[in-house]
Amino acid sequence: MELEKIESRRVGDYYYKVRHPSGLDIYLYPKEIGRSTRAVFAVRYGSVDNCFQGEGEAAPTEMPLGIAHYLEHKLFESGEGDAFARFAQAGANANAYTGAESTSYVFSCTDRLYESLEILLDFVQAPYFTEETVAKERGIIAQEIKMYDDSPNWRVVLNYLQAMYHAHPVRQDEAGTVESIAQITPAHLYRCYNTFYNLRNMALVLAGHFQKDKVLELCSQKLKPAGPFQVRRVLPPEPDTVVTPLVEQRLPTDMPCFQFGYKDKGGPRSEEDLAAVTVLLDVLASDASPLFRELLDKGLVNEASFGYQYFEGRGYATPIFGGESRDPQGAAKVIAREIARVKAQGLEPEAFELAKRSLYGEAIGAMNHPGGVAGSLADFVLRGQEPFRYIDALAELTLEQVEAKLDIFREDRSVLSVVRPL
Amino acid sequence: MNQVQTYPIGPGVTLKSFVDPAFKTMRLSVNMLVPLRAATAAGYALLPSLLGRATREFPDYTALGRKLARLYGASLGSAVSRAGEYQVLTLSAGGISSRYALGGEDMFGELTGLLLSALLTPLTDSQGLFPQEGFLQEKRQQLEQKDAERSDKILYAHQRCHQLLFPGCPAGLDRLGSREEIEALCREEMTSAWQTLLKEARFEIFTLGDCQPDVELFRERFAGLGQPLALGAVERPLPERAERVTEIQPLSQSKLAMGFRVQAKAEERLLFQLMSAVLGEPTSSKLFLHVREEQGLCYYCDSSFSWVTGSLFVESGVEIQALDQAETAILAQLAALQRGEITREELESARLYLLHGLRTVGDSLHRVESWYINRAFDLPGQTPEQAAEQLMKYTWQDVAEAANRLVPAGVFRLKGSES
Repeated sequence: MELEKIESRRVGDYYYKVRHPSGLDIYLYPKEIGRSTRAVFAVRYGSVDNCFQGEGEAAPTEMPLGIAHYLEHKLFESGEGDAFARFAQAGANANAYTGAESTSYVFSCTDRLYESLEILLDFVQAPYFTEETVAKERGIIAQEIKMYDDSPNWRVVLNYLQAMYHAHPVRQDEAGTVESIAQITPAHLYRCYNTFYNLRNMALVLAGHFQKDKVLELCSQKLKPAGPFQVRRVLPPEPDTVVTPLVEQRLPTDMPCFQFGYKDKGGPRSEEDLAAVTVLLDVLASDASPLFRELLDKGLVNEASFGYQYFEGRGYATPIFGGESRDPQGAAKVIAREIARVKAQGLEPEAFELAKRSLYGEAIGAMNHPGGVAGSLADFVLRGQEPFRYIDALAELTLEQVEAKLDIFREDRSVLSVVRPL
Repeated sequence: MNQVQTYPIGPGVTLKSFVDPAFKTMRLSVNMLVPLRAATAAGYALLPSLLGRATREFPDYTALGRKLARLYGASLGSAVSRAGEYQVLTLSAGGISSRYALGGEDMFGELTGLLLSALLTPLTDSQGLFPQEGFLQEKRQQLEQKDAERSDKILYAHQRCHQLLFPGCPAGLDRLGSREEIEALCREEMTSAWQTLLKEARFEIFTLGDCQPDVELFRERFAGLGQPLALGAVERPLPERAERVTEIQPLSQSKLAMGFRVQAKAEERLLFQLMSAVLGEPTSSKLFLHVREEQGLCYYCDSSFSWVTGSLFVESGVEIQALDQAETAILAQLAALQRGEITREELESARLYLLHGLRTVGDSLHRVESWYINRAFDLPGQTPEQAAEQLMKYTWQDVAEAANRLVPAGVFRLKGSES
């Protein structure tokens, strides 16, 4: 078992990275705050991994949309009962999440940690799907899909991605559609499980109060050694262009909302690249920026909802600005004009320094709670990144590195998605 | 959890300090508690954001934003919430601990300075009024927030059901005031609203995390402010029958919100929370296991209990044609609870679920603050540890008995129509 201690003097924290003989990478991050411990058992498999080719297979197979999410729902069930019930009896709160590129199973607890960890390691390694149990879940997931269908804030994002991407599966709802989930069978679920739920394609993260040796001993008892992980994830070719620069939908809402952004080259990216884009967006659109001031003064956005992010992953990337607006077109115009101005004139050095300070503070604050730390560490490691390196990169960035990222904004690759009242 | 120290600052002002250097952050908040009244709700609700948008030293939004960025992304925030028949108006500041400040800044001093300046010596124009531009901006944003809340159908259904439970009572008022009341606000009223608020509110001040308060400073700055308002639940007669309203909107999914009322003593808060947890909070609850998992009727079907209003809500999103079926299924689970059909697993899992919540209060500065503000209404000074101890005493018979005291009070159905 290889064990490496990773420390950050800036953050004042450390964690261990353990390469377990089973093939699993384990990350143990001690946190002394409060009483809780959070565990995340995650797999690099999400909604975009819908088409893949396993070792020795002649051709790629395409799965029904939403299968990674369906699998996440069904994995909690076993022949002996439900993992939720076992967690509840151990006093732990459990949940799971499916993203574009990963699926995470989590629990938090204040005591009986090792009992809960055993449950987590057990159920994620023991799939149990029958025709009956798979069919039963269909109605529940259909209701989840419909709940989001009625949400203006969700629809405006999904429409944005559909207007931006011709073929990349990130344009699809992570939960699939009512029609696509109707096609999912136990055989599909086993196929996906056996392909991706390989310990070499997974990570276990704990943050909080624990005894390192006891955790590792339990892992050694419970983890089943994994074979080699050789899967080709197939993404369709994606042109650089967008599908359409404007997409609108009408819903029963009282407040219009929008998402506006640009199509960038897909990832993966280094910590330095991510830090540079994050600083750039903060310079452009934070509360301290001239852009935000103009948007606010003109009544084009409100403080409660306006936000920005760099949404990126394997084969997709886009800086997005959005929120509620009485005049989405007007808001997008002001954002585009400010970006053009900054591209022409460069960044103000003081604004650059302020953004760095602000993001440094945000990164320190994010390392407070076991819950936040475990989730964030899992996200980083699944993407092949390291959180302390990201914080160091933020601190060491130069103005030139950030200005070099201004080319992510290409006027001919912008998309505006709007949801308006009926 | 570390001890929370309470310092009396004045007759209507209390400072609570939660010191834990394990946190990398700190938080300072001033919570102003006032009775919720139609005449004052909109004006008071606008004040926190109006006060927090600029200060005399940083007189516009951008200047203040830059100052906060310089302080490592510190925040100066505002919030408005409702606790029973009271409005809770909050102005807060948060940031990293001084030990992480690269320039050696005294972060607590900086944040306290900003917060108290915004609250006690706000930016005004030559006539002593809040600047016109900021007033109009905040008013617009308050109206937009109301519209956004109407657009969130889960929240909308809950709010409509809440109104059915408290017709004509302060508890039924919107914490932000009505749309018309917000529209009618004029700038000239805001200065006197602020002065009245400082005089009449009960102040609950918190300093939390890696920081030590200067108690004398607070005594000096809050001298003569606030009044010792008695808090608690206001007993209102229980309804004789449940109000039912159905509204149709073009939605893919219908929303069902069912409300129940009860008159419960402060000491019984945890018992009713336990009852709600057995009914529909954790994944071991009756609603999750039977309405969602067994019958597959919904993705979510949750209950929640509020002692300060004496109300329990059950909310769900269901297939358009399944509203009646879902309502029947929910009532069947409640009836089972009332008959005492509670398994040992259901009771213990619900208890453990609540214990987890109590034991993790100290994990988050917000949750410590929220715990002690809520206790101001029922059992002042009760610690999460004491609550945990009390929770262990309840039996399944107690839970069933509590369930039998619920009175159906309102059902709001937001029915989808696919056209």
